[in-house]
Amino acid sequence: MQKLVVIGAGMASGRLLEQLIDADPGAFEITLFNAEPRGNYNRIMLSPVLSGEKSFEEIVTHDDDWYATNKVTCRFGEKVLSVDTARKVVVGEKGEVAYDKLVFGTGSSAFIIPCPGHDLPGVVAFRDLEDTTAMTEAAAKPGARAVVIGGGLLGLEAAAALRLRGMEVTVLHIASHLMERQLDPAAGYLLKKDLERRGITVLLEASTKEIVGNGKAEQVNLADGTELPCDIVCMAVGIRPAVKLAQNSGIACGRAIKVDAQMRTETPDVYAVGECVEFEGNLFGLVAPLYDQAKVLAKTLLGQEETFAMRELSTKLKVTGCDLFSAGDFADGPGREDIVYRDPARGIYKRLVIEEDKLVGAVMYGDTADGNWFFGLIKDGTDISEMRETLIFGPSYQGGASVDPLSAVAALPPEAEICGCNGVCKGDIVAAIEAGATDLGAIKATTKASASCGTCTGLVEQVLSVTLGDEFVLPTAQPVCGCTDLPHEDVRRLIKAQELKSQEAVWQELGWKSRNGCHVCRPAINFYLLADWPLDYTDDPQSRFVNERNHANIQKDGTYSVMPRMWGGMTSPQELIAIAQAAEKYGATVKVTGGQRIDLLGVKKEDLPAIWYDLNEAGMVSGHAYTKGLRTVKTCVGSDWCRFGTQDSTGLGIKLEKKLWGSWTPHKVKLAVSGCPRNCAEATCKDVGIICVDSGYQVSVAGAAGMDVKETERLVDVRTEEEAIEWTTAFIQLYREHAKYLDRPYKWVAKVGLDWVKEVLADDAERQALVERFDISQSVYQKDPWAERAEPEAARRFQPLADLTLKAAE
Amino acid sequence: MDTVLDAAVKTFIQVTEIWVPEGDRLVLATGNYGELSAFEEATRAMSFGKGEGLPGKAWAEERPVVLKGFDGSYFKRIEAAAEAGLTSAVAIPVFNDAKLKAVLVVLCGDDENRTGAIEVWHEADGFLMLDDGYYGAARHFEWVSQHTHFPRGQGLPGGVWSANTPMLFRDLGSGYRFIRADSAGKAGLTTGLGLPIPVPQDKTFVLTLLSARGTPIARRFEIWDSRPVKVGREVAAVRTDGICEREGPLWTDDNEEPPRRVHINQGNIGKVLATGLPLIVTGKPGLTEGYDTLVALPIYDAGEIAHIVAWYV
Repeated sequence: MQKLVVIGAGMASGRLLEQLIDADPGAFEITLFNAEPRGNYNRIMLSPVLSGEKSFEEIVTHDDDWYATNKVTCRFGEKVLSVDTARKVVVGEKGEVAYDKLVFGTGSSAFIIPCPGHDLPGVVAFRDLEDTTAMTEAAAKPGARAVVIGGGLLGLEAAAALRLRGMEVTVLHIASHLMERQLDPAAGYLLKKDLERRGITVLLEASTKEIVGNGKAEQVNLADGTELPCDIVCMAVGIRPAVKLAQNSGIACGRAIKVDAQMRTETPDVYAVGECVEFEGNLFGLVAPLYDQAKVLAKTLLGQEETFAMRELSTKLKVTGCDLFSAGDFADGPGREDIVYRDPARGIYKRLVIEEDKLVGAVMYGDTADGNWFFGLIKDGTDISEMRETLIFGPSYQGGASVDPLSAVAALPPEAEICGCNGVCKGDIVAAIEAGATDLGAIKATTKASASCGTCTGLVEQVLSVTLGDEFVLPTAQPVCGCTDLPHEDVRRLIKAQELKSQEAVWQELGWKSRNGCHVCRPAINFYLLADWPLDYTDDPQSRFVNERNHANIQKDGTYSVMPRMWGGMTSPQELIAIAQAAEKYGATVKVTGGQRIDLLGVKKEDLPAIWYDLNEAGMVSGHAYTKGLRTVKTCVGSDWCRFGTQDSTGLGIKLEKKLWGSWTPHKVKLAVSGCPRNCAEATCKDVGIICVDSGYQVSVAGAAGMDVKETERLVDVRTEEEAIEWTTAFIQLYREHAKYLDRPYKWVAKVGLDWVKEVLADDAERQALVERFDISQSVYQKDPWAERAEPEAARRFQPLADLTLKAAE
Repeated sequence: MDTVLDAAVKTFIQVTEIWVPEGDRLVLATGNYGELSAFEEATRAMSFGKGEGLPGKAWAEERPVVLKGFDGSYFKRIEAAAEAGLTSAVAIPVFNDAKLKAVLVVLCGDDENRTGAIEVWHEADGFLMLDDGYYGAARHFEWVSQHTHFPRGQGLPGGVWSANTPMLFRDLGSGYRFIRADSAGKAGLTTGLGLPIPVPQDKTFVLTLLSARGTPIARRFEIWDSRPVKVGREVAAVRTDGICEREGPLWTDDNEEPPRRVHINQGNIGKVLATGLPLIVTGKPGLTEGYDTLVALPIYDAGEIAHIVAWYV
């Protein structure tokens, strides 16, 4: 095992150790030196420790147990005296230790202004726990006064903390506004005002001349003659890398220890990380790049490749109630433009700096909600020209208003049924969660909710989220469209659970983002409503696709196809004569389809009512060749004619078609009945296919013969024709009540599982109830659309608005 | 999540209840009465008009009210309280601008062994002065507090006042305002939650809950920030600070990971965001971080919930 010695137990080297130990715990025997008598703690959180808003224990990153568990030999409180890179040993106050690899993590020390009196007791920096303790003790005296020299991040955090501790605090800052490296003058003004509201005195352009006192700091005198009596002076004017040990050891240094992009110094087997390094001329003071360095160095030490790169940084001030954010470069310059937003009443100031259609800087005061988003734009160099006008209002303005995806479920009363299969209410699920069921599996096990068809899974997960909060991570589901965050399955369940019976009710109660839906969601919602509430909801033709609205399929040349229904593929000479006459009269092309019927192609839109009327007069109705509904029932000739036929397949096909026609379904539905297993009607690739056998009827479902090809799966074998019709009808009604709009039956069955479908339909009462509900729906929807639209009033809608073929009168 | 309840502890607050306006009266929305079922029964039969009883007084006077010693007072449940051993109460109105959303009432019993403090501070002549407070056995601390005032920015009350945000102090035994801190340390007070109490009139009130280890007001405190300037246009809240006896610190260093965030309707805090009302959840440790009871209190600013403070016991 190689020997790794690390000098300095700061945040960067602490992160390095974590990365190393996580990646390969046995790679190194580690010795850690630290001049402070303790291990790694989150130094940047010392400000709230000083204010009393955190305890020191809370900011300890690695405690004794951590070092012991990870077998790190700690030499805390022991200074390193020298490093002998030739012998590869580190010499500490208590002896030397050999290394194979050495890491300098010596950090930085506070810069102390070398004014007279700077070395008096009572002059402290703000770097470590000792400084913090000294200031806390100074505050423990009635009327104690502090002078903080430096109006940067650290100085202001110290000032606010000392004020909370009960001190009278004055901040001295040499520049003309606070935090001039991170803020522009406007934000600096607001920050000063905020600090003054806390009772802190801020003196700008204040030059410290001297610190005086009798054996300890008692007064700060400024160059302009101002005298500031005090009990403690905190110098927070910057840091300088702690590199003396490295320099003395012959490690190449510039302003700090020089490293390459793998954190290697110029000396073999010696590395450096943190505030003590210099990379391509850059020094480091914020924590984010230090963590990047630690990650790179861990990989380097483990012989892996990784490269450190500079990145943009952002700044926040840790003063409670003071919302400030700064990132990037906001200096004035040629070609730079500003976008500024101010709200004086609320003390808000936001400024964005743009250069060549990219955001290069952002300063925000009072409203920092979008800070990270702006920071991302800066880091990524995003082209913002498209959103320039609204950029200052942040990401939510770009994407429209956000809505609450949980509101619909939160609003459900406890008695609302979530799982229709097993009759489980919201209250049951909440009770199970309260009793300790905290994931979907536990809910399924304890309540049976979502344990059957699973279409309510999304809703059960939402109940978990509403009840448990963010401890339950909600899986992302594909929403119906951009108008809602709810997926189809949830919308369906909520329409039932909340008894939503109109489009307006859906938009409102389910929190639709748009006023009344869009071309994607309206057809789906229209179907769900009419399928669930056939007697309460009225079909909305405006929510249908154009073919369904016009009851004919539009063709590529703008004409339409007209297809009369041929029950079970049977026709008659009279029907054929009427079709022939209609074709001749309206100039239609005649085509025999794969579904055993005749298509009349090339009919003009304005002729549609007339051709429908003519076909109606011959006793024919619409074949619904354009709908998400029952299309055809293909049959073979069956036992009447065929030598192999076992049953009257044609008769059964006609009965099925006469029962099912006119019903709306999630997608088109095609049936077939074959009279024997030779399967001439190709029933085994239909949505429902029936094969007649000597013993009765084999009903199978969920086939496909389109983009996907799939054989049907056996649903049930029954003895009688009546049973075959009942099972088929119940299956289609179950599909109507549960499937996602535009899912063909085979897709729906794949989601819910054929076992569940079988289980539901095998229940005699449930099967009959499904048939009853289907019949109720048919009482409304089984009507010929042609007959309705062949009326003169309705027919007028199919006339062109103007006849552009007419010539103007002379 | 650990849902195993610790051994029962003697808590400083014995009863917490939420009263909400219904027409011209305040009716009980929910309450946590522990084992004081007779007092609970007496309470359930009651409602308060404006100015009536303690909740009605907080409503009428538009300010938090501390009431110590019920005998001969306007308190309406004197007998039941006496039987239950309850002797003091604090009513905290929750206003959204001028509209009263609810009144949170906490009741405590006189007990020489119960230490803690519930204080109401108000602004007068540029300082925060003690309006009144209930301290249990911490008599010396009570006396010191009565003789302490806080300028802006100083101590927990002054910090809350100047920052207009709830704050959570860890070590009450050291530092701020010297004598009070010293006394707090001697009284065993450890954690302090301070929160602004907005009222319709242009007055400043700050409530502090100071908890002692032996008889805690709470064993877990949380502060959530839900201001749009912090969370954006989405109705949500981020946990900015918190401390828990079991889990330790509940804040995150945002260099490491973003703070915990919940959306409207997501869990208990999400419910407060959705209803705009205080919340008490009791007897469901699975929903209350393993503790028996959660109390969550919204703090409004400029017509919306700005912060939510939650305590668990």
